[in-house]
Amino acid sequence: MVSEEVLRTHLQELRRGTVVVASLVALRRPDYGYALLQRLAAHGFPVDANTLYPLLRRLEEQGLLTSEWNTEESRPRKFYRTSDEGEAVLGRLLDDLTAVHTSVTQLIEGVGR
Amino acid sequence: MSSLTDRYLAATLRAVPTQRRTELADELRASIEDMIDDRAGGGQDRGAAEREVLTELGNPEQLAARYTDRRLQLIGPRYYLVWWRLLRVLLTFIPAIVGVVTGVVKATVGGEPGAAIGAGVASGLQTAVQIAFWVTLCFAVLERTDTSLNLPAWTVDQLPEETRERQVTLVDSCASIVFLLIAIAFLPWQHFQPWLSGDGSRLAMIDPALWNFWLPALIVVLVATMGLEIAKYRAGRWTWPLVAVNAVLNLSFAVPLVWLLLTDRLLNPALIERFAWLREGGAEDVAQIATVVTAVVVVWDVIDSAVKARKAAD
Repeated sequence: MVSEEVLRTHLQELRRGTVVVASLVALRRPDYGYALLQRLAAHGFPVDANTLYPLLRRLEEQGLLTSEWNTEESRPRKFYRTSDEGEAVLGRLLDDLTAVHTSVTQLIEGVGR
Repeated sequence: MSSLTDRYLAATLRAVPTQRRTELADELRASIEDMIDDRAGGGQDRGAAEREVLTELGNPEQLAARYTDRRLQLIGPRYYLVWWRLLRVLLTFIPAIVGVVTGVVKATVGGEPGAAIGAGVASGLQTAVQIAFWVTLCFAVLERTDTSLNLPAWTVDQLPEETRERQVTLVDSCASIVFLLIAIAFLPWQHFQPWLSGDGSRLAMIDPALWNFWLPALIVVLVATMGLEIAKYRAGRWTWPLVAVNAVLNLSFAVPLVWLLLTDRLLNPALIERFAWLREGGAEDVAQIATVVTAVVVVWDVIDSAVKARKAAD
């Protein structure tokens, strides 16, 4: 049995890019940092706060997200939303994710045969 | 009141460029308060929740680095190999050259052969530290300013042609160089720190008159031999030019040595005067034995190098 440490590193590697995909999908409905964190966690994407918050700003700088301050509620919050560019990139990413899944499935079947 | 959150925000924002500070502060504060609210809503004490949330966010400097894409390493993978190769190349010869030059200058121009070794070693070490510091600093700056060096990409043509095993290993070369350094150091040492004879007076073993020319000349030959060792290590094996240089260097050391021995000019006359057995023919015996030993060593070394060069050429 491999050590927990090795397993954890591999899982982390596997999960790394999927946080971006998940965020771009989830932010089709505008949301603020912590609410997004909770939504992602609820849908099986546990992300550390100190990873997600900087990631959101980076995606915004890259133009994949747009943001808007909402001052109507009790405290002002920055809401992010997936931009058109973000949607385009997301499309490519989802295609690739599907391709990876298909390839793995075919590989498994091929090996099984 | 300066709450933990305030202090955390201040610590994070300190490492963030000014123009983004205010907006980031507002957003991060809102996020932290959301997180605290959520935990406090679950019945937890607010103070404890705050501590937990900030602990989860981690070291503020690290968080700031994530926000600003700042590198948390001195030299990253992009430049590490270039840095390491440059450092190795520079450190292999520059400190040695500076050390030897300083030593020689101290011994000749400065007229203090006794202090030459110490001065040489000290300046060599200082040079090594300076090189390591400045090279590393330059690369750390390049890393941080994201400067591209436009270095040519690696190609298969850069693979070393030599695939057979090294004939000359690093350990061998280092041992030879250390031995040569000891031999060089011996000459001033025997002059300034000679053994104490029975009556407590000090006597040099080698005739001090030879410092006028022959001993510096022999030191030059020994330094050149160190150069040969380095060249040999770089080549990885004996080649015919190296054999030739080795023979020349061997002869330029052995011939003066034997000549001085046989003409009774090597040993300090005062030393011979002191010891009866040297006076009564002992000095001649020493000279003859040393001559034979020197001749055997030289012939053996030259033949050995030629045999190895032949083997390597096969």
